[in-house]
Amino acid sequence: MTQERTADRPRVDAYEKVLGRALYAADQPIAGLLHAMTVPATIAKGRIEAIDMTAAQNVRGVVRIFTHEDFSQIKTTPAARGAYGQPGKGHQPMTSPVVRHRGEPVALVVAETLEAAIEGAEAVKVRYASEPFSARMEDDLASPEAEPDRQLSSGDAEAAFATADHRVDVEYLHPQQHHNPIELISTTAAFEDGELRIYEGTQAASAFAGGLAGMMGMDPTRLRGVSPYTGGGFGQKNGIQEQSVLVASAAVLLRRPVKLVMSRSQLFHTASYRPRSRHRVRLGADEQGRLLAGLYETVQQNGRYDGFACDHGANPPRMYGYGAWRGSDRIVRVDTQTPGHQRAPHEHPSSYATECAMDELAEAVGMDPVELRLANDAQSDPITGKPFSSRHLADCLRRGAELFGWSRRMREPGALVADNGDLIGLGVACGSYKASMTAAVTTLRLFASGRCDIATSGHEMGQGIRSVIAAELIEILGVDPTKLDVRIGDTGHAPQHITAGSWGTGSAAPAARGAALKLRDELSLLTGAPLSEEPVHVQLARTRRPSLEVTVNTIPLGKDAQVIEQLRRGIPSTTGPEYPDFMAFSWIAHFAEVHVETSTGRVRVKRVVSVADCGRVMNRRTAESQVRGGVVWGIGAALREAGETDPRFGGVLNNDLAEYVVPVNADIGAIDVDFIDQPDFKLNMSGVKGLGEVAMVGAAAAVVNAVYNATGRRVRHLPIRIEDLL
Amino acid sequence: MRSLSYIRAKTVSEATEAFVAAGEGARYIAGGTTLYDLMKLGVERPAHLIDIASLAGSDRIETSGDVLFFGAGARMADVAEDGVVRRDYPVLAESLSKAASQQLRNMASVGGNLLQRTRCPYFRNGAIGAYPCNKREPGSGCAAIGGLDRGQAVLGVSDACTAASPGDWPVALTAMDATVEIQGPAGPRSVPIAEFYRLPGDTPHLEFAIEAGEIVTGISVPKTEAGRNSTYLKVRDRESYAFALASAAVALAMDGDHVRHAHIALGGVATRPWRAREAEELLTGRSIEPDIALAAGKAAFAEARPGAHNAFKIELGARTLADAIMTAGRKMQ
Repeated sequence: MTQERTADRPRVDAYEKVLGRALYAADQPIAGLLHAMTVPATIAKGRIEAIDMTAAQNVRGVVRIFTHEDFSQIKTTPAARGAYGQPGKGHQPMTSPVVRHRGEPVALVVAETLEAAIEGAEAVKVRYASEPFSARMEDDLASPEAEPDRQLSSGDAEAAFATADHRVDVEYLHPQQHHNPIELISTTAAFEDGELRIYEGTQAASAFAGGLAGMMGMDPTRLRGVSPYTGGGFGQKNGIQEQSVLVASAAVLLRRPVKLVMSRSQLFHTASYRPRSRHRVRLGADEQGRLLAGLYETVQQNGRYDGFACDHGANPPRMYGYGAWRGSDRIVRVDTQTPGHQRAPHEHPSSYATECAMDELAEAVGMDPVELRLANDAQSDPITGKPFSSRHLADCLRRGAELFGWSRRMREPGALVADNGDLIGLGVACGSYKASMTAAVTTLRLFASGRCDIATSGHEMGQGIRSVIAAELIEILGVDPTKLDVRIGDTGHAPQHITAGSWGTGSAAPAARGAALKLRDELSLLTGAPLSEEPVHVQLARTRRPSLEVTVNTIPLGKDAQVIEQLRRGIPSTTGPEYPDFMAFSWIAHFAEVHVETSTGRVRVKRVVSVADCGRVMNRRTAESQVRGGVVWGIGAALREAGETDPRFGGVLNNDLAEYVVPVNADIGAIDVDFIDQPDFKLNMSGVKGLGEVAMVGAAAAVVNAVYNATGRRVRHLPIRIEDLL
Repeated sequence: MRSLSYIRAKTVSEATEAFVAAGEGARYIAGGTTLYDLMKLGVERPAHLIDIASLAGSDRIETSGDVLFFGAGARMADVAEDGVVRRDYPVLAESLSKAASQQLRNMASVGGNLLQRTRCPYFRNGAIGAYPCNKREPGSGCAAIGGLDRGQAVLGVSDACTAASPGDWPVALTAMDATVEIQGPAGPRSVPIAEFYRLPGDTPHLEFAIEAGEIVTGISVPKTEAGRNSTYLKVRDRESYAFALASAAVALAMDGDHVRHAHIALGGVATRPWRAREAEELLTGRSIEPDIALAAGKAAFAEARPGAHNAFKIELGARTLADAIMTAGRKMQ
């Protein structure tokens, strides 16, 4: 059995998806379904004084209108929205008359039809007592936390910075961003076969089901979370949503199935988002460009009540061999809904700030930005002193520079000019993301007919995890992918971990591989001889057994059997980046070429080359697709995306996909992707480190650095818009 | 449930009679690309829809006579792809092909497009927010003034409203001196496009010189050799599916190397499709040179009144116009 490298296979669920057979949460056909719609708060902060439901109750088809008076029994637990596991944090709307952000649900109208639910919701009249608020961290009532949320240090960074030959001291601003997965967030709750089933596009079916049971005071074994397909998650679907427990409670109280699909405009106000952040970066280097000191201070805008961490400082010190480092991350609280994890949650903004600062340092030292990074390559972590499990970042840079034609770059900004007069700029930036894993429980069944079923932990949200699981079974067992059934995202089949943080593949691949290897061992015991080259199901048939089943608990490196119990209860438990003997990260280098129109300042990203070190590549096709998606998001972050809040009102003004500007096809040029593809067996038996998040880290910085190379302008906020370059 | 009546009219008179009969809350609907959007946003709440998408002959495109005539029901995509329009009036074709998306252009009518409402987010966000808007709710105030006004107009603004006129096609038609053909319960009439759009003044909710029950039946554009030397340049936050931050429609009638007459209108920067007469006059008699083009661009914005975040539109608008003048000028060679 050799590790099959960079196999390029179609997704195993491609046909199901393009033929519309894959049922997403809101597609479930359920008899007798009621429809729900929320009434969003029209104040940013205050209390509900009275709710007039008369007109709404008269809307034909309205079954019931729920308010906070109906839901006061719902408990706000560490699983609740915005708590992030911390007791005392979080806010579940409609459990009291308190309104903590604009747009939060203040009533839930349930009706026989969607139209009646919408009309009923619009007819509910709420009287509020509003209170003064601040919705942006720059405003008067914003409250900075007294203590830093996180700190990391090594050596005396201040002293080293003070005496460095070359210094940069710069501040970068990153705006608020919203995930906007195409599948809207929906919840459907239905009693079926004696259990309450929650159909919701989620990245965390067990945490979801267990968390809801806790909030509702239900026996968790009577609640099943079902999410076999999630239409894009990106971190926005990794927990209980504001409406989830309300819909589930409504179904319990009405004894009928209830569905709510939250509209896009409301999701800008109820779902999580990437919070606004400020980053001060100080870098000191010697004459040769060796990094003597890094000082990194960040501030992040949180809601008043949430437990979302500020963790910008985790990755930058691991990027290069800093002589000394000091970093601190602080939180400022304002009156908004809770922010949350959005693809590369802190790594993207921190790479934007620090990799742009590296570009500024390269200029100060008078070095090529690629050479500066190579000169500071490191094989161990400056903070813990531990070696990296694997790090091929220098190879990413060298190979990327070659593929991209980096040697064309002129140090002098604006020196490269296109035939049409556009200024050409080339930029580089790097990224990293922790290599994590989580526990999995896998049941694998092989039938003598050749059919094969696997039920395991993980969610398919477009990243291709089904295909990763299939790849290991194909490799170890030689099963036919058309006879393979991969059951994931459903607590009725297996306990489900939160699939996030790029640990999906690193957890699912070893789980599938471990189960497949165990099945071979069991089969070999049955046949009484080592397995032959014949298909495994043929060898099984010869034993006259119809099927063979194995169950495997996969415990990630550095953890013990307790994690399996936590997994069953839906309590998140992940590893990394620190392991007993090493630190583990995925790495990437991005190169971007932009053309800037001199008269109007329009920026066009003509080409991006990205080379990633993510350990073993499980499927070249889905892996390239992951990286392209990350790069597109990086381009959007650099040049277009920002949630905008009018401080006088709170809320998000540009709350739809027409006004919240993301790139369209016409904005995206060539994106060439390559991989180092060296397995990291120190981490797991599949040699996988993780790719989905690292794909985006550094992509925006490469574009920003290219804009500088074209124009000579250091724009230190995102997005860079036309008015910044006029 | 909120009920809605719907009928499909076959002739203009059938439609106008149905409108009168329906009474309050009646709206015509053609492609539906604006009205359905505004209904979903809660900005429009019609009680009766009179569908005029299949009025007999309303999608006529005539390019052989003395004028170009576009039936109001012609689809944006069909006019954009018309051979004569593309060859002899690129400004018209480009203004259509750079608008919206192919899917929307396949549905939207060129008559309905004249009546598109502003994209001002305070106007559109009526249902979820508590944003005052004089256009949506006369007398309630204007949240955009003193607010997030990056997209707002700098020309033709008033103390009651700064909402930018959103269209591209109306800008090109304004440059080309089009006439809007209208028919209503009282009979047909023609309105020069310059008079079709109102300035906001104290009554920003009154946007178009069209009376209740009237239907735009067609658009006439006088034929001119300037059409060949024309272009529509649109600058926006992304390369497709976005409204203009600044746009310019330019057509040049030339005597040799010199401009005999320039047709210029601006979009994205004004409260209505904006005819830039000052720029036209500045170009008259001149040859097309970059500094003259930029001077014309700046002249067009002499009266601009920016807000807090949209002052860049003055410089961007001037440069966009200058680029468009140079592009139109190059078509001579």
